[in-house]
Amino acid sequence: MHRYAPATVLILVLLVLWEAYCRATGVTPLVLPAPSGVIGSLVENAAEIGGHAAATAAIAGMGFAVSVAFAFLTSVALHFAPLLERALVPVFVTSQTIPLVALAPLVILWFGFGVLPKVLLVVLVTFFPILLSLLSGYRQAPRDFLDLVASMGAGRLEQFRRVTLPAARPSFFAGVRISATYAIVAAIFAEYAGARSGIGIYILQAKNNFRADLILAAVTMSAALTLALLGLLRLAERLTDPERKGRRHAAG
Amino acid sequence: MLQVEPLDIRISGGDGRSLVEAVSFQVEEGSVACLIGPSGCGKSSVIKWIAGILPDEMDARGRLLVEGRTVDPRGGLVAAYQPQTDALFPWLTIRENVCLGLEIAGLPRAEAWRKAAPLFEPFGLNGTAHLFPRQLSGGMRQRAAFLRTIVQDRRYILLDEPFSALDAITKLRMQEWLAARLEADPRGVLMVTHDLHEATRMADRVLVMAGRPGRIVADIPIPFPRHRRSETALAPLREELKALLLEDKT
Repeated sequence: MHRYAPATVLILVLLVLWEAYCRATGVTPLVLPAPSGVIGSLVENAAEIGGHAAATAAIAGMGFAVSVAFAFLTSVALHFAPLLERALVPVFVTSQTIPLVALAPLVILWFGFGVLPKVLLVVLVTFFPILLSLLSGYRQAPRDFLDLVASMGAGRLEQFRRVTLPAARPSFFAGVRISATYAIVAAIFAEYAGARSGIGIYILQAKNNFRADLILAAVTMSAALTLALLGLLRLAERLTDPERKGRRHAAG
Repeated sequence: MLQVEPLDIRISGGDGRSLVEAVSFQVEEGSVACLIGPSGCGKSSVIKWIAGILPDEMDARGRLLVEGRTVDPRGGLVAAYQPQTDALFPWLTIRENVCLGLEIAGLPRAEAWRKAAPLFEPFGLNGTAHLFPRQLSGGMRQRAAFLRTIVQDRRYILLDEPFSALDAITKLRMQEWLAARLEADPRGVLMVTHDLHEATRMADRVLVMAGRPGRIVADIPIPFPRHRRSETALAPLREELKALLLEDKT
């Protein structure tokens, strides 16, 4: 059985139950539209929702890319300066306790309605899990491996490049996958606090018009964006898999 | 000749506990010396000091001489070191693993491969260059680890319990195989073990370490050439070693 089959079956069952409930009780679509109604609205408003989704995807993508780069550079600095790690990690942990609801309007207030505050919010939310996963991955580098390359004459930087970094690869991808699930939600939150376009703004407008079907259509689109981002990460993980590289060399 | 002159190792800071005290011995070029002793007597610390990888939390005082010249273990790169596990990096192919030491020493990748490639056959590793460690059996992985050590072309080799992770049969096969390799390509070997059979089968001399802090309590040459040792001839020697090791009550 395919690994995603159980989840797909479960989602389908829930959707069928939801559809059956709406039809059986005759609940008004203003309160709870049936999945068929949501899909209908999504198809009907595909162009508009798609435009907003593209804006959200751009913000989330930008923020996520900055976050990965920034987390990587920070992790390297902290790895080589344990004192800095002891000083900064508690600060980063504290930063994670600030609710996004409070932070989003403040960041918009400070940086305006442009791209920067939204990207910043995505970075704030996604940076920490990637940083932590990298730092914990570095600590998983086997002692024997480090000893071996040190005995061969490798300095600290070369030990890091040849052992610590590759050993942290699985942990890094686990971290970026967790962060990816936050990235779209953080972008939507940022838009909610103030934007001209994006799924967040679309949801706000739909809410003001009492269009539960459009809200759910936008939510569906946001879920699709998150899944697409996760898919891209899975692809990146496969493409950078050392065993894949090895097979290519063997074939060539 | 590789010589260790009174070596003391202690934990730096804290209680400053002494781990190894006044350990002196020598390993002649082309000969195999086994350092045997109970767990915790400091065997691995001695070998790590020579390899220049003693952990920062340990303090060492002693002199290392190679061919009569004092060298700094941290910068001297006097011997190729092999840790307890095969330590093959799972993200590298066997070829990349084997060439690792040469590349770190500054050899370009192609040149490192030119040097290592002819050794794949005598090491029984034909056809494995593009495979990953997990695709190899325990014995093959160990041979690949030995190849990575040998190809570094150092006159001395430090082996820290190289067979401890292998099953009994593979271990026996690997001991015979390594003995034959060393006959064909002699190096000065210092091997840490806590296996009496392994020590008497492989070594030209057995250094017995015991106590806490660990000291060399006996330096026993084995009076038979490595390839002509019968179990009957080795039995009294093992008894002698066993008595020495059991004497240690620490």
